[in-house]
Amino acid sequence: MADFSPLRDIPILIGAFFVLTAAVGMVRFPDLYSRLHASSKLVTLGSAGIFLGAALELTDAAAFTRLAAVLLFQFLTTPLTAYLIAQAAYLRGLPPLLGSGGQRGVDEWGALGQAEQVAQADPDAQRSLAAEGQ
Amino acid sequence: MSGLTLNLLLAVVWMLLAGEVSTRELVIGFLLGFGILALFPRALGSGGYVRRTLAGLGFVGFFLRELTVANVQVALFALRPHPPLNPMLVAVPLRLRRDSAQTLLVALVNLSPGTVVMGFSADRRTMYAHAIGNASPRAARDSILRVEDRLLRVFSPGPAPQNPSPEASP
Repeated sequence: MADFSPLRDIPILIGAFFVLTAAVGMVRFPDLYSRLHASSKLVTLGSAGIFLGAALELTDAAAFTRLAAVLLFQFLTTPLTAYLIAQAAYLRGLPPLLGSGGQRGVDEWGALGQAEQVAQADPDAQRSLAAEGQ
Repeated sequence: MSGLTLNLLLAVVWMLLAGEVSTRELVIGFLLGFGILALFPRALGSGGYVRRTLAGLGFVGFFLRELTVANVQVALFALRPHPPLNPMLVAVPLRLRRDSAQTLLVALVNLSPGTVVMGFSADRRTMYAHAIGNASPRAARDSILRVEDRLLRVFSPGPAPQNPSPEASP
């Protein structure tokens, strides 16, 4: 295992690099919403690289189809979870940092104060907001 | 999906004619069958199926490119000393109506450069997204509308995509 095989190791190294930058981004980005960019995009492609390398290493059809299925679900669940986390944080009233360098940022949602709008679209969120109000 | 059924049927017929039940013959039959469906769309009524399949393949290529750009961009932001994040919230008017299509759009937008979906308006006609690394809200909105355009091309049943370009929408 000490030998370097480019076909197997390069995808794994690229994947590991993106997962590492995801961790760096999680620490360095200023707020939850920016961090979600790092966790959703970088982790998806990073794990894709690692899975691809693993599939090329194992070279058997069953491992290949299984890893393909894992990848498919990874591509669906990771970004949708990021969306759910962003929406949950917003509904709970966490204000996003907007604009850089002190200027006021663009906010077309009219951030906070309009959380009820979203809650109306989503009965579950409405229930949880009502429960919090009690 | 009658086009897909026809294509599978052609693949099975090919496998029977080849006299060998195997995945390899089935795949060859499927590809040949797709060629036949593409050559005679009028006679076989497969125009929509061929167009949607090609749009789907084009979409996969487009998506892989977007995903790569998105990752390199965020990775650079994570590593640069002073990343120009310029975070903003943008509102995007949607043309996709079906729930399943909107769910897919959320997943794809979260994987494309600079945008993460945060929520929908009550009537689900407007999507709100958190954007980083964009100079203007217009640029952020256009990048989301480009993804939606591609999805519309795959989902629309008509002979040609009947949707305005990102520049035409407000």
